[in-house]
Order: sequence, then structure tokens, then C-alpha cells
Amino acid sequence: MQAIVHYPKIRVGKYSIDIFPYWVALLLGLIAFGLVGAYLVLTQGLHITGLSNKVPWALWITIDLSAIALGGSAFIFGVIVHLLRIKRFEVVGKLAILLGFLGYSTAGMVLLFDLGKPFRFWHPVVYWQPHSLLWEITMCVVLYLAVLMAELMPIVLEHPAFSNHPWLTRFPVLKKLIGPVHKFSHWMHGWSPVLAVIGLTLSLLHQASLGATYSVLSGRGLWFNQSAPVQFVLSAVGGGVALLFFLSIVVFRIMRPGQVKDDVFYDLARISGAATLLLTYLRVWDWAVTNYYSFDREVALQTQLLDTIAPYSLTFWLGQALLPGIAGALLLAAKRIRSFRVLIGLATIPIFNAILMRWNYNFSGLIASISYDPFTPTVILNSYTPTWVEFAVGGMVISYWLLMFTLAARYLPFQRQHDGEHHVH
Amino acid sequence: MQNKDEKSQARDESSVSRRDLLKIAGGLAATIGLTQFISINSLASPLAAGGGDSGGVKWGMLIDINKCIGCNYCTYACQAVNNLADDMLYNVVSTETTQNGTEYFLSRPCMQCAEAPCVHVCPVEATYYREDGIITMDYNRCIGCRYCQVACPYDARVFNWREPIAKSELAPTFGVQEVPNRDRGVVEKCHFCSHRIDDGLLRKLTPGIDQQATPACVVACPTGARVFGDLNDPESPISKAREEAQVTLRLREELSTEPRVYYIPPDTAYKPPFEQGD
Repeated sequence: MQAIVHYPKIRVGKYSIDIFPYWVALLLGLIAFGLVGAYLVLTQGLHITGLSNKVPWALWITIDLSAIALGGSAFIFGVIVHLLRIKRFEVVGKLAILLGFLGYSTAGMVLLFDLGKPFRFWHPVVYWQPHSLLWEITMCVVLYLAVLMAELMPIVLEHPAFSNHPWLTRFPVLKKLIGPVHKFSHWMHGWSPVLAVIGLTLSLLHQASLGATYSVLSGRGLWFNQSAPVQFVLSAVGGGVALLFFLSIVVFRIMRPGQVKDDVFYDLARISGAATLLLTYLRVWDWAVTNYYSFDREVALQTQLLDTIAPYSLTFWLGQALLPGIAGALLLAAKRIRSFRVLIGLATIPIFNAILMRWNYNFSGLIASISYDPFTPTVILNSYTPTWVEFAVGGMVISYWLLMFTLAARYLPFQRQHDGEHHVH
Repeated sequence: MQNKDEKSQARDESSVSRRDLLKIAGGLAATIGLTQFISINSLASPLAAGGGDSGGVKWGMLIDINKCIGCNYCTYACQAVNNLADDMLYNVVSTETTQNGTEYFLSRPCMQCAEAPCVHVCPVEATYYREDGIITMDYNRCIGCRYCQVACPYDARVFNWREPIAKSELAPTFGVQEVPNRDRGVVEKCHFCSHRIDDGLLRKLTPGIDQQATPACVVACPTGARVFGDLNDPESPISKAREEAQVTLRLREELSTEPRVYYIPPDTAYKPPFEQGD
């Protein structure tokens, strides 16, 4: 009862080439290149990056935040599928869990290199400091990664290799080993509503806290404000679901036609559109509150200075106000637009918006700081240029994400539960 | 007919069974319980002794900007004692201006805030308040996330981007290394030479009066611009100096970090420090 999978192919003349091996080779090449950078960072220290005492967080943290945000569809669909029991989302829900797992494992990986003491990564789990937002985020991410693994396991075990591979009969040991795993996964599946609740709680906590991480930085602060936590949650929902929409078109509509009805895709687009519109509304209010209803000399000066080195105001008005506004409205009307080419194009905007927002919060917010002298405080513009090592390691974790997604898209069955042999109900 | 079956099946699938409801309720209850546990036991408790003014000894510093000549001896002494590379200064002296354009030297150690952002943000409690208000670090616990650096409004924190240097060029002219080196990959900070204070107190010395028990920067200052002592002791040098001073200020008071480093602002009628006479 396995669906036929159509692999994406490129036509060159009369040949139709499966791009899979070339794509995987490219990603493996990038990972190998990244490993060189990773080795250098671990052995020589962070001075080979462009980071400094003035700009201690930069490219890697932006990748980390964006990966977590774009994994945001997992908690939404955990709730939709396992708690609200809306069965038509079951199959895309599985993809959402996969994207969540990939996002969080990518984030964990890049964070490892960003820590000055990578092998003390477990310290927050042992040495609690519950006042710290970063402690709370670490705990949530660690626990949520465990939840995602528990949710992902049944999806991976659906693969026929785990139930009727010839090796299982040739080596009975394997069969004995895989038996308890299946049983455990089956048992875990029964707990999926509980996992969904825990996942929702943990996700809302840390997605919001990631915004609050910047809200408490009173010494800096161009975009740092009290609505940052809500903005982070909304952009994670908007961007995460937009990414799910984008990729589920690839995985289901292109590669496994007929497995998911078009209405489901439209619904994904609409969820993303609604969250994006809400976010845009908040962003614009945010701007009005800090620049129009109140005037802060330092904020104004910061914006002015940032505008001299990069088009920051433009990225706000274009990338975070105008385009997401339009894209949000159009995605909300997905059922009327119908064209998946147009919708896929539109879905890139909330994804881009989520990344841009994190880049601006993290990087632009840190690059401009206010001096501490008491009489004539000024805004100091620090500088940061990423080195090749940062690009290499960043490219490596992104390649890991793409590679895992590629393999999953090609090999995982993504069946509806009652089509498979493990019938639960 | 088949369509009807599908519909009824869909309805079955979409309804939540009693067992699942119990599971969901259990999950919610567990989550609420955990949240309560965390908030009552940790979040609502006072952060730690030393935050705020919990009485007892609270070490502080007073820097008279009028006396500072910008010689950087405080920085040099700090580098020698803590073995700091030139790009890892705990103490920084900069030239700033008042509103009317008069230039003055601003020397900045760690403010040892009573409400320190760095202590609040540290995810592993590597940065903590001592009983005497000094903010110090457990370098074996720090994971090098640099959130404290991002959070400090005074740029008082430095990260070990490289391996520690063998020996500062400023030693032994300005002092000798008195504390162990810190590893590459941890953040570090000014600790008001807490090792001197602790040793001094054991030897019945008074920090702020006896040089061996006083921070190196205070001792090194050739013009006596820095005064050190217990803020809660009215007889300490710092309390007397604060009483004597007409006006004192703290840096970025609007952020409510409650620094324990006070400044005597520059006179509007500017007098070069060596011509003041005693």
C-alpha cells in the first residue's frame, strides 16, 4: 500500500536526470568543508571568527534563532493532529514534526560551536539558574528535542525497512532488537496527546523567551521592546508554517501526488497568512510606539547610524511591513488564488521575514550600543565581518538540515496511520 | 453509501476519547504543576544574598573625576595583577566630554551592580553575588555563551577569545600576578580584587585602608582619585568621602542596575588636578 514516489528530475536534452546523487554530493562536500572550519574553531578558539567583545553574538546565533523559528510548525501541528484530532492534517503533521526536529537539532549543533566551552553544553541542565532566560530556553529546547524525537520515532519506523527488510529474517538478532523499539514507539504513539501538550507548552515558552532574551538588554536596544516575545512566537508560526507549506508541496504534491488533498495545502497557507498578518500589525504598532508616539533620541540616532552602513529602515518597511502585509493577505486568500506557483512564491516571504527579524534583533541590535558616559551618551556603531570559518560552519549545519530533509523526503513513507500495518485504534 | 461511511469514520477519528481526554488533562496538570514548582521555588525567591542592600559589608568604590589625570595606572595595575592581555581590560579609562564640551577622564571598573544584568542572565549561575556585594565568577562553570557580555550596559565583561598570555608586560612594574589564569572560552570580569579582600580580612586588615587588602587599581592611583571601602560602614573611607562630596553620580542610573561605583562629577569650573593644592 506504499504510494509511488516521483523523484524530482532535470531534463537535459532528451535525458531526464535524477538530481538526487549530485545534490547529496554537493551537500556532503559542503559538510566536509564545514568540518574543517569546525575543527579549527574547536582547536584554536573563537578568535578565528569575526566576533568581538562588542559584538559577541552574530551570524551563528542568527542561524540558531532562525532554525528554531522555522521548526515552529511542529508544535502547531502536534496540537492540531494529536490534540484537536483533525485527521486531514495527519500526513503534513508528520512532515512538521520532521522539520521541527531538523530545526532544533541544527540549532543545537550551531550553538555548540558558538559556546566558548562547547563541552560544557550540559551545564545548564545541572546548574540551574531559573532567573535566566537563556537557562529556560536551554531547558525547553533540550526537553522539546526529546519530545520531538519521541514524536519522530514512529514516523521513521514506518519505513518498511524496519519491518520487512530481508536482513531481519537472516539475522534474527536484528529482529529481536527492533521488536522492543517498535513496541516502545507504539506505546509512545499512545501518549501523543500528552506529548502535544508538553510540546506546545515548551515551544510557547522558549519561542517567546527567545524574544525576551533581547527585551531584557536594557543597555542596547533599537528593536528591543516588550512585544518582542509575542513577535517571536508569531513569526515562528508564520515562518514555520510557510516553510511547511513550501516543503509539503514538494514532498506531497510533487513527489507523492494524491496523498494529501489540495485543501490541506490551502489551509497551511492560510494559517501562515493569518500569523504573518498579525505579526505585521504588531510590527507596525511597534514602530509607531517607538518612533511616533514617543521620541527617544538614542533610538532615532541608532536608526540613523545603522542606515549609514546598511538599508535598515528599508528592510523594515519593505521586508517586515509591506511585503509580509501583502503576502499575509494573499496567503489568507489561498483558496481563491489556487495557483501553487504563486503561493509558493508568496510563502517565501514569511520565511524570509522570520529570518530577517532575527537578524535585525540579534545583529543590528548588538552592533549599535549606547555608551555609558554620564553627560553626553552617544550611540556607538561597532563592526563585525564574518570570517570564512563562520560561513563554513554555518553552511555545514544548513547542509545537514538540507541533507536530512532530502533523505527523509525520498525515503520516508509519510503514510496515514490507518493505511499502515500498525493500526492503533 | 461509501461516502457516508467515510464521514462517520472521520467523525470517529475527530472525536477525542475519554482516555485521551484523561491523558490530556494529566499532561496539562503536570505542566501546570511543574510551572508552579519552578516559579514558587526558584523564580519567586530572592535571587541571592548580595543582590539589593541586604545589610552587612558591601564593598564600593568612589572615583573622583576631578582628580583623575588619565595616566592609566589603574588599568596597568589591574593587568599586572590579573594577568590580562592588552585587549582584555577589566578597567578602561576613556576621554569624555561634559555638556559644555569640557574634556575629562572617565575610568571604569566593573560597577558591581546590586541589580546586575549579568547575574540575572547567566544560564548556569557562573556569575553570582558574593555576600559582600561583589559580583564574581566560577570560571569552571561558565560555558562561554557571552549573554552576560551582551547584557552588561557598561561593557565591563571580557571574553577569553585566545589562550591566556604567559605574563603581562606590565608585570612586575605595576604588580605581579595574584590570581590564576582563566581558560580560553570563558568570560571574565573585574572582581574588586576579591582575593586581596579575603586574604586581608583573614589577616585583620581593613580593605580600603590597608593597601594589601585594597584593590590594585585603588592602590596604584597616583592622585588618590579612587576611594574604596564598605558602603554600609559610616566610618569607612568611602562613606566619609561620599559625605564630603557635594554631588555623586553613578553611570546609567536610569537602567536601575544600582551600581556600587560612585563618581564625583567634574567641576564646572575646571581646575587641572596638579594645581589644586592641598
